[in-house]
Amino acid sequence: MPTKKVIETKKVSRVFRNGDIEVHALTDVDLIIEEGEFVALMGASGSGKSTFLNILGCLDQPTSGEYYLDNVHVNKLDKNQLADIRNQKIGFIFQSYNLLSRTTALENVELPLVYDRTGRFSNSKEIAIKALGQVGLQDRIYHKTNELSGGQQQRVAIARALVNDPTLILSDEATGNLDSKASIDIADLFVRLNNKGKTIVMITHEPEIAQFAKRMIYMRDGRILTDEIIKDRSTKESALKDLELTS
Amino acid sequence: MKQFLKIFKVAFQAINKNRTRSILTMLGIIIGVAAVIMTISAGEGATQQVQDQISGLGTNLLMISTKEEHRGGINVRMGRPIEKKDLDILQKSSVWMSKISPLVAIGAQVIGAAGYVSTTVYGVSNQYFDILSREIVSGNAFTAEDVTTARKFCVIGETIREEIFPGQDPIGRQIRINKVPFTVVGLLKEEGEGTMGQDQDDIVIAPYTTVQNRLFGHRRGYNMIMASALSEDHILDAEIEATELLRESHRILDQDEDDFEITTQIELQEITGNVTGILTIILGAIASISLIVGGIGIMNIMLVSVTERTREIGTRLAIGARESDILTQFLIEAIVLSLTGGILGIILGIIGNQIIFKATGFYIPTVAYSVLIGFGFAVLVGVVFGYFPARKAAKLNPIDALRYE
Ligand SMILES: Nc1ncnc2c1ncn2[C@@H]1O[C@H](COP(=O)(O)OP(=O)(O)OP(=O)(O)O)[C@@H](O)[C@H]1O
Ligand SMILES: [Mg+2]
Repeated sequence: MPTKKVIETKKVSRVFRNGDIEVHALTDVDLIIEEGEFVALMGASGSGKSTFLNILGCLDQPTSGEYYLDNVHVNKLDKNQLADIRNQKIGFIFQSYNLLSRTTALENVELPLVYDRTGRFSNSKEIAIKALGQVGLQDRIYHKTNELSGGQQQRVAIARALVNDPTLILSDEATGNLDSKASIDIADLFVRLNNKGKTIVMITHEPEIAQFAKRMIYMRDGRILTDEIIKDRSTKESALKDLELTS
Repeated sequence: MKQFLKIFKVAFQAINKNRTRSILTMLGIIIGVAAVIMTISAGEGATQQVQDQISGLGTNLLMISTKEEHRGGINVRMGRPIEKKDLDILQKSSVWMSKISPLVAIGAQVIGAAGYVSTTVYGVSNQYFDILSREIVSGNAFTAEDVTTARKFCVIGETIREEIFPGQDPIGRQIRINKVPFTVVGLLKEEGEGTMGQDQDDIVIAPYTTVQNRLFGHRRGYNMIMASALSEDHILDAEIEATELLRESHRILDQDEDDFEITTQIELQEITGNVTGILTIILGAIASISLIVGGIGIMNIMLVSVTERTREIGTRLAIGARESDILTQFLIEAIVLSLTGGILGIILGIIGNQIIFKATGFYIPTVAYSVLIGFGFAVLVGVVFGYFPARKAAKLNPIDALRYE
């Protein structure tokens, strides 16, 4: 079955310059991710994971190299086109949620639709409520961000990432601030989204969370060190059982 | 257009969510605008009041007096006194002056039915009342004939009447001025305080002939000659004419300077114009300070919220907002806050003026340009400090905006 390349990078590098100091955060990364994959991105702190994911999410630009998203050469796009790509093709989830404060879950989730210029979505409220339902927050729609737990806030953020029906979901340590139980719930949510056909790339430090994915990439010093298929994937049940055994 | 409406809604949401910040911003603008309106209007009000009083001095007024020089603290008379022959030549030959009256003043003790009072007695001709636009409310002014025959008639002001005939009709009553008996023939209409704060009703007016003969004992000179020009446009003509006639009368050679002085209303207005000009400058300075304080207040609030807002902008950019979406949102926010604050400030300024009027009786007209200046400045500050930090943030890479600290 011919598959579609969602992500293709060719010799992508990112150098940060602070005065005289140069940090090579990313060096010549070649990577192909196909539709329907679920990739865990791991590596020590400072190995360049976030830098890479930000480039994949069109939040940052590589210093050199080429990046194709859905066969579109992203480096050739202008600011507005990049904004539209972020809006239409990418759902980005941050460790620190990045929700608007004093704003309801519903308003937060509706936000990407405000910036949609394709007119794909006729009833943004209905769509946002559906996305909140998908992450199990149907009874928290009118709660403000500060009235929700960390796990619930992260789910609002995931609903926001889902609402515009993106091709690609990127998650930078989405479970980093959550306890094991809440982390497993989020990982399970990713599995279910992946089962519905979403391509997912998630950064995590926790091997037990990475174990939910189909493929694991390990980075070191701005390069890909290993890239392998995960054989015995975790499920929510197995992970919860392990959690009970260890505690 | 549809996009604009969506952003419009977002902007209103943002204003609403950040109520404290919005209110503080508006408060800065409200206070700035109200302060400017009130200070400028107060300055304008004071200027107008002074000018009204000067015009109230009598229209088209000219005052001709002997030249005096200030020497060692006292005024020394330099020229020849102004006297009868000067008056005669003016009355006979002038074409630009309609009314002419000499003035001799003397401090005197005035005794009436209820007591005595010290005041100034002005000796003038019957035309004095027209020159200074002073009206008689009861009785009559003395006539030209009374002046020629030096009758012992006088007209008194309200302050004098209260002292010596409290609650009584003074007309036809006898009073003594420095022991000389006079008959009160008229009562002046109340005028209140003059430009320099003097009581314009603390006055006794009598024919100058009588004052010269009876109170001075045959004095020849006058303190001054007062005259009114035919119209306001002819004050300069009248001044030139009076100068020529007096130089002739005083036999002043072509190369010599005048030995008299002519003061016109224009000069008076210039002097008080200077005074009120200074007043306006001081009030303007106060207004500018309140504007700056208000502006700094607005600026502070905006700067304090820059971190939070930059992250908000980062979030919006990350989920696909275009730079123009962000700019539109922040521009709408800034305009809405500044306009609302500006309008409330105008209302507060007008109410403030009213309150001062009610409390002190000092009428402050709300002048249009103060409203424009205050409003314009506030909107400018609001928009500049609301919009430009946002513009800077919207130009950042989304990830840099999100990481902003
Ligand atoms: N904006 C920046 N300016 C300068 N250096 C940066 C910047 N962002 C990242 N770096 C550097 O790039 C390298 C990679 O950083 P990155 O954030 O990608 O690491 P990471 O793998 O995500 O680490 P962690 O697991 O701690 O999040 C680090 O050495 C970091 O100091
Ligand atoms: Mg990271």
